[in-house]
Amino acid sequence: MSAVGGHDRGIALAGVSKSFDVGGESLPALAPTTLDIAPGEFVTLAGPSGCGKTTLLRILAGFTVPSEGTVTVSGEPVRGPGHERGVVFQQPTLFPWMSVRRNVEVGPRFQGVPAAERRARVDRYLDMVGLAAFGEHRPYELSGGMQQRCQIARVLAGDPDIVLMDEPFGALDALTRERLQGELLQIWRETGKTVLFITHSVDEAVYLGSRVLVMSPRPGRIVFDAPARFGRAGERVPVEEIRSLPEYADLTSQVRRAIHADVA
Amino acid sequence: MSITSTVQRAPAPDLTAADTRRRAARRTRVRRLALHAATFALLLATWWLVTRTGLVRPLFLPSPGAVWDAFVRANSDHPVSAGSSRVVRGEQNYYLWEHLLASLQRIAAGVGGGIAVGVPLGLVMGTTFLGTLLEPYLNFLRSLPPLAYIGLLIVWFGIGDTSKVWLLFLAAFPPITMATMASVRGVREDQVNAALSLGARRVQTVWAVVLPSTLPDVLTGIRVATGFAWTTVVAAEIANGIPGIGGLAYLAGEQLRSDLVVACIFVIGLAAIVLDLGLKSLERALVPWRGKA
Repeated sequence: MSAVGGHDRGIALAGVSKSFDVGGESLPALAPTTLDIAPGEFVTLAGPSGCGKTTLLRILAGFTVPSEGTVTVSGEPVRGPGHERGVVFQQPTLFPWMSVRRNVEVGPRFQGVPAAERRARVDRYLDMVGLAAFGEHRPYELSGGMQQRCQIARVLAGDPDIVLMDEPFGALDALTRERLQGELLQIWRETGKTVLFITHSVDEAVYLGSRVLVMSPRPGRIVFDAPARFGRAGERVPVEEIRSLPEYADLTSQVRRAIHADVA
Repeated sequence: MSITSTVQRAPAPDLTAADTRRRAARRTRVRRLALHAATFALLLATWWLVTRTGLVRPLFLPSPGAVWDAFVRANSDHPVSAGSSRVVRGEQNYYLWEHLLASLQRIAAGVGGGIAVGVPLGLVMGTTFLGTLLEPYLNFLRSLPPLAYIGLLIVWFGIGDTSKVWLLFLAAFPPITMATMASVRGVREDQVNAALSLGARRVQTVWAVVLPSTLPDVLTGIRVATGFAWTTVVAAEIANGIPGIGGLAYLAGEQLRSDLVVACIFVIGLAAIVLDLGLKSLERALVPWRGKA
């Protein structure tokens, strides 16, 4: 299946593990993990907090160097952060010294995109996340949900092929969270980007993912890997009807069992 | 109909609420101002009463009127003594404001140099091994009262302005360096990571992320350094400090002209407050996000 957006950056992790040195002792955070993510997949990774999900994401982002194993993106080994891998952090890392608009513009600016194209991208993504009217505000003048939307617009304006998201909706209220989930799914269907989305919410994992992974508690290991057809690109089920599908309830209980089996 | 009218009027209560808030804020401001004015008047009256009743001799505490006269004299051409036809300019041939200006110029040069050296040095110390290497020396320098080494500076740079500006520079640059270094070390790693993931090169993150995010702390460092330099400049002018407000205060004390001493003290204190208020509002203008993000 080729992606809608048409990029071909597959991700491959081979035997990737990570241990942290804590007071001279080696603490394993991520057990050796092998995982392939195809271009255009929306992979959700669920698991209890502190199970190494974030470590996995930070290794992919190039912020953390794995203790063992190799990470490649379209065949190239990952050596550090790169603009083909956008990162949406748990806490919005917006720059308070810039307006919302300038924040969204920062990626294209770093990448040397011409001004006219920059403006077009900023307008498009600000509009997409519903912040078109707030361009001249400073980030701290926005609510938490709006800041998170701004961060998503900033990452998308950088036009990464791969979007790594670390519990981006974790700190939001239920209503905002649900709306942003719908928007994200819509964006993904339109752009065909590869997404790795970390969450501790089973519902969120099943609702958003085209493929759902479950990770065991520390040291993290992938213990469940199943396709979920609801969010898939080209799927015609309207976003707002996904939750009422019988397959949805079925997969949800499978994922829940996988998490609880390992916690027990 | 009633629904439509409610909707149309919806903004109105908000506006009046904001209005009430503004009015309340203005009321507290006026009340606070009145309280300050009353306190000041009370202090002034006590001062006047103490000198008026002859409780304290004018040499120890001149009256408010005498201080005011000294202040006016220091800012005008006046006869050298009562009845004399020889007219002199201000004090020591400079008006009081010229003395103040001379001190402020020294401050500007010293603190300016402190910023020019302290910010880059702090940046380098905060990001490299030089930080741990040089920090003890910086702490050593910072703990010295600048007057301890003024003698050495005079030997090196002469009795003129150069040694004074060096002194102020040495007083100003450690706090600025320390503030910059601490702030650089406290830069949120994920803000740098975010910039890198958006396509920034390592070098670019210094300009785009590290510098702006240290700006609030650097400005505070500059404010601290300026306050410190101000107390130092006044002391530094004891030796050959004319023109200079500190030099004038010292000289007036030597000549037992307490009225002029007190006038100088007022000018020194007020100048420090105005300087600090100016830097504070500069901070507010440059880093409106302080404490909010």
